Amino acid sequence: MKGVGAPGSLVRLLLLLLPAAAAAADYVGGAVCKTCHPDIWQNFYKNAHYKSVAAGDLPPERTGCESCHGPGKAHVEARGGKATIRAFSLMEPQQVLDACLACHVRDIPRSNIRRSSHTQSDVVCASCHSIHKSPAPKYLLAKKQTELCYGCHAGVRAQFAMPSKHRVNEGFMACTDCHNPHGTASPSWRMGLRPRLADTALANEQACLKCHTDKRGPFVFEHPSVRVDGCESCHSPHGSMNPRLLKRPAVFTVCLECHNGAGTFGRQGDGVKMQSSTHNMADPRYRNCTTCHARIHGSNVDSLFLR
Amino acid sequence: MKGRMFSHAAVVLIGLAGVCLAQTTVAPSPEPVGRSRGEDYRNYNFVHSFETGYRFRSVGGNLGKYRSDVNFGNGVRLLASSLAVNSKEGQGRLFDQFTLNTQGLGEDPYQMASLRLEKNKLYRYDMLWRVSDYYNPALAISGGQRLADTRRRVQDHDVTLLPQSSLRLFAGFSRNTQDGPALATTQLFDSRGDEFPLFSDVRRTQNEYRVGLEARVLGMKFAAFRGWEKFTEDTPLRLDSASAGNNSDDQTTLASFRRTEPYQGSTPHWRLHLFTENHDWLAVNARFTYSGGRRDFAFDENGAGTDRFGRARSRQILVAGNARRPVTNGAVTFSVFPSRGLVLTNHTAFHHVRVEGDNTYQEINNLTSGFRFFQFRYLGVRSFVNQSDANWRARKWLGLYGGYHYSKRRIRSIEQFSEQPSDATAASQDNRIHSGLAGIRFQPNKPLSISLDAEVGRADRPFFPISERNFHALGARAQYKSRSLTLAASTRASYNTNSVSLFAHSSRARAHAADASWAPKAWFSFDAGYSKLHLDTLSGIAYFASGRQVLGDESLYVSNIHSGNLGVRLGIRNRADLYLGYSRVQETGDGRARLDAPPTGSRTGSASTLFRFAQTLPLEFESPQGRFSVRIRNKLRWNLGYQHYRYREDSLALQDYRAHTGYTSVVWSF
Repeated sequence: MKGVGAPGSLVRLLLLLLPAAAAAADYVGGAVCKTCHPDIWQNFYKNAHYKSVAAGDLPPERTGCESCHGPGKAHVEARGGKATIRAFSLMEPQQVLDACLACHVRDIPRSNIRRSSHTQSDVVCASCHSIHKSPAPKYLLAKKQTELCYGCHAGVRAQFAMPSKHRVNEGFMACTDCHNPHGTASPSWRMGLRPRLADTALANEQACLKCHTDKRGPFVFEHPSVRVDGCESCHSPHGSMNPRLLKRPAVFTVCLECHNGAGTFGRQGDGVKMQSSTHNMADPRYRNCTTCHARIHGSNVDSLFLR
Repeated sequence: MKGRMFSHAAVVLIGLAGVCLAQTTVAPSPEPVGRSRGEDYRNYNFVHSFETGYRFRSVGGNLGKYRSDVNFGNGVRLLASSLAVNSKEGQGRLFDQFTLNTQGLGEDPYQMASLRLEKNKLYRYDMLWRVSDYYNPALAISGGQRLADTRRRVQDHDVTLLPQSSLRLFAGFSRNTQDGPALATTQLFDSRGDEFPLFSDVRRTQNEYRVGLEARVLGMKFAAFRGWEKFTEDTPLRLDSASAGNNSDDQTTLASFRRTEPYQGSTPHWRLHLFTENHDWLAVNARFTYSGGRRDFAFDENGAGTDRFGRARSRQILVAGNARRPVTNGAVTFSVFPSRGLVLTNHTAFHHVRVEGDNTYQEINNLTSGFRFFQFRYLGVRSFVNQSDANWRARKWLGLYGGYHYSKRRIRSIEQFSEQPSDATAASQDNRIHSGLAGIRFQPNKPLSISLDAEVGRADRPFFPISERNFHALGARAQYKSRSLTLAASTRASYNTNSVSLFAHSSRARAHAADASWAPKAWFSFDAGYSKLHLDTLSGIAYFASGRQVLGDESLYVSNIHSGNLGVRLGIRNRADLYLGYSRVQETGDGRARLDAPPTGSRTGSASTLFRFAQTLPLEFESPQGRFSVRIRNKLRWNLGYQHYRYREDSLALQDYRAHTGYTSVVWSF
């Protein structure tokens, strides 16, 4: 962004007003743009940005083509050319972001965009949105949402190709069901570490609970791993080669890697409780932990999640 | 294994000589019909298409596993439809935009409909309706006894009034239901008793109502939302006939069993936002949320049979109580723009979660006649997060960012098994994480961009043995993007060690990926991608086996996943389209399965050996597909598609399957 830095409120006001007055004459209006860009104009009434034209009462810098591309007078006089107008294809990522936020800054879901990991990686508005040629029915996306995200997150594409996965490729879900690509506040789980643009359910819960309502609780006996470090303690949310999106092929290995009684871990700082001596791990019967600990996500009745 | 995968992939590559958006399902067809500009009628423009056809499937092998992974069936479907109506001047009488899209209607396992209706300046209505069939085929987990055949229906409705004004009003409703038959398990009559499968009829409903407003005042945006979530679950469990349990050498039997456990409550919540970015040098974003959360429950379980000593047993358990979870969350972010290209942000957040609940547990049984006690559990997590980041565009071709993140968390817990507070066991602990991030981005020329990033962090007292303690991550990505060609490669490695006295855990994760997308002509495009995901973890574990305690054993998990996809799209004389795609994902493990496989049914072998056998699951999952679409008339297309799925595990063949799926359809508009 720009630093104005002019001392004194009067000087500051003049500096703001004078260029604005000069700029108003530089706006030519969308009807002029149509002369050379009929292909864009012809379909523009279907564009969400057409609202600014239809409104009919917005100032020239907030309506139609020039609200994004800036005043067109110089462009018209030069008979075209990208150098004479604000051409997004030539703009630096930060400039693209500033241009779009001039209007869209007022949208709360985008309020964290300045610090989002996408912005830090130069993935800004025009990286995902195509204002004039969007094939998507909503949000002016440049491609189908999954293809947009997979374009950079190839590892995630691989995860959704695994046998056990959330149904994103099948069209039941979208990446934005769980993530806000415009940035989020730090999550309330895992100490805010590596938020991965994860969205929240009901204001402050993990996105998983948007759909998995039965896991929400509250329960008298919560499995602390769920509340403290989140569902990812045991599950790979995108996809897994293992059943139930688990991080290990067999459930008992998931459990035993925490429940070993070692160290200063756990709720009471004396290790996560080791299983009882009645559990003979040499007997296959005891390797199916959730057969007995059936309410592993939380129970109202039993502290060992047996019922 | 790896060689075989690549020889297969090479054959397919050569055979296809080309591309496309692999991994998506073969239907619906993306090829359009009719005029892309649509048809005008009065003051509106209409663009629409409907694809209807017949899906078929033929499955050999484990049908349950197929239903768990894929689940497409036979039948007539409205595979997809879209209808867009736009007013031509943005001054429609009742609406200016109407957009309706559907997918899979008519009993596809994944169905969706989305609707937007909007009148400029006046209102906007969004609806999203979705259905997903969930089939859990009683896989190896839980001894293969947990089965579910449920359907989840989700719908969201949101209305915005005055969407373009400085005062916007919101109202919304969401509903999420899950129902269907399932098998669950229970264990009784004592801690060593047998396990029994039970029939359950899943019935869960969540409704959420919300209202809100956004107002722009004095250059600031203020938003307030209020919501109420209501959840009800009443899933009864029962035994339809006498059962001898799962383990033949256990004498526990169950003659009758019934359990009812109504569970319901609400989570009222508030969300407040304050946001401004009207100045050239500062943006402020503040957020406060609060959610209540309370559930009341009653539990009644009645079982009769014999225990593991052969004695007649009858037991009834009655429990009632409630649980509460208020969550308070506040965050404020300052973004400062001291110069062009430099953005400094500081994000501070506070979270407080308090989970507490109590119940009265009463048991009546024929041996001890019964007992009653009170249980209380409290878990409080309070955390403070501060994240400072700087993002600087130093040159047109060079960008840098860095950050320092700090978190402090206090976890308190109280456990109490009587109504006397003096019996409570309380504990408290503090955890801290410091982490630093840095990244650099180059754009040596317009189509090429390269980015490198790194993160290093230290936690002083992780909560779990597998949590991050001493961790670092390195990543790199390069992308070449021109009008018709995109090439990208990325790599990321994450390492963590979490070692304390007498215990050690380490993990290494590496992901490498390469992608290519080439569309030199409107009638030809090619996409291909390859990823390798590696993970190995080594954790200290302890357990009991054959009457002795085993300490200091290790759990070594190694996963090597190769994933590839490719697709080719070919347009033929502007009339027909051919799409061929292939995706394959293969877990090669590390080869231990065959070496260490235990004797079938062994109960006396080394548990350590059993761990090693269980911690690798080499398998392949592949799916070639092809689709042919031909334009019969300007507004009519005919499609034919086929998709094959093959799932094969190296260790056991019980869950393997091959599925032939396909469809034929017409896409039309009028």
